[in-house]
Amino acid sequence: MPDTFFGWVWFMFIKYLPLFLQGAGTTILIAVVGTVAGFIIGTLVAIVRTIPMHKKDHIVKKIVLKIARGILAAYVELFRATPMMVQAVLIYYGSLQYFGIDMPALLAGIVVVSINTGAYMAEIVRGGIISIDVGQTEGALSIGMTHWQTMLHVIMPQALRNIMPSIGNEFVINIKDSSVLSVISVTELFFMAKSSAGTYYKFFEAFVIACIIYFVINFTITRILLKIERKMDGPDSYVLGSQNMTAEEMKLILNKSIEGKK
Amino acid sequence: MSEAVIQINHLGKSFGKNEVLKDINFSVNKGEVVCIIGSSGSGKSTLLRCVNLLETPTYGEILYHGKNIQHSDQPVSKYRTKVGMVFQQFNLFNNMNVLNNCVVGQMKVLGRKRADAEERAKYFLDKVGMLQFVNAKPRQISGGQKQRVAIARALSMDPEVLLFDEPTSALDPEMVGEVLSVMKTLAGTGLTMMIVTHEMAFARDVAHRVCFMDEGVIVEEDSPQVIFGCPKHERTRQFLTRVLG
Repeated sequence: MPDTFFGWVWFMFIKYLPLFLQGAGTTILIAVVGTVAGFIIGTLVAIVRTIPMHKKDHIVKKIVLKIARGILAAYVELFRATPMMVQAVLIYYGSLQYFGIDMPALLAGIVVVSINTGAYMAEIVRGGIISIDVGQTEGALSIGMTHWQTMLHVIMPQALRNIMPSIGNEFVINIKDSSVLSVISVTELFFMAKSSAGTYYKFFEAFVIACIIYFVINFTITRILLKIERKMDGPDSYVLGSQNMTAEEMKLILNKSIEGKK
Repeated sequence: MSEAVIQINHLGKSFGKNEVLKDINFSVNKGEVVCIIGSSGSGKSTLLRCVNLLETPTYGEILYHGKNIQHSDQPVSKYRTKVGMVFQQFNLFNNMNVLNNCVVGQMKVLGRKRADAEERAKYFLDKVGMLQFVNAKPRQISGGQKQRVAIARALSMDPEVLLFDEPTSALDPEMVGEVLSVMKTLAGTGLTMMIVTHEMAFARDVAHRVCFMDEGVIVEEDSPQVIFGCPKHERTRQFLTRVLG
């Protein structure tokens, strides 16, 4: 048996490596799926909540839109105002007890994280959309784009760029907060650390290891997201063509600026 | 009298209790270049924005080739492809380079193939002297250059009418000239243009007709010679004395 603190950390790490790796894998899986699904949910919610409503619109459209907005607003408020840990318990046990749905804990965990992230993302995406200058919309409308085309080709790409730091935040938060899913025995990193600590009763050492793994995961993720942001910004400079260039020359300089992005 | 492309009948626009346009009657004929002048807040821009329905008129009607655009079986977006607009703040798409700014509308709205759209875009970018900058992003070029690209973008859609909303007001004085010279060339091609401007010399030289607006009404409209030479109304005279010094 090791007799120093670091000795114990190392001993636990080697002995329970498969456990920690599996836990880390589950944590990453939950965070990735949860963030992506949450982003999709959030985007849809935000788009519905920002559809312009005109006085002259058809009454049916107005009613449907009003109801949809009410439901979505309730969803956002409800899930932002309650702890994810409580939501996890409610969904996992509630679905079994009252709806007879026996979900695997992992699935329940992913569902909870997705829905929860969706509620936050809805506000993040909405903020991103309304932060884009109204002139962009007018420019798009003036060349005949519809509301959806404007959203898809002009507003969303810019909004997405602007909210990337917030999406990154959500991602990192999900990595960390997925630890609350241990309450419904999802075998993520926190759960695994707790399990590994039991045999030798070395809680501090086990959680130092968990702590380091969480940090490494998050640090890596934030670096990757930063790279993606830079890529979205495109090159800082552009290649100047000549006033009377041929189609081939034009292709060449367009390609050059794409290379510049890399 | 040639055919009226755009005919505005009894048009009014209020923002809340603020009545910005009052019973406007106005028309633009095919191939005509009309300049609208007047002090800030006189309703010039609002009138122009009503013409392509960026503002919804409170009352009155706008006819495009005799058809009311607000009660048409075609969507407004279809109409807007025929009536392009150039903005004071350029409104180029910040997420696209110069070429794509001029291509995206052609492909998504008119359904042109990329090769055709690029060909068309390059033709007009060349016309406005911006072909060299195809792969620059809007944030990388100057205001005057942005406005020239914006004009090329509007032209790429092959509009019948082009609306200019104070196209040089956000530009440094030294860049005004490059944009005005592009517009001057356009006017010579027989494109129908409706221009809200503070550039009196430009209006005098290029316009077929000049409209003076004040407090939401068209006070006077006539040939540039008359408006700038011997305006009939006192308000027109006062305005011109003020801006021409």
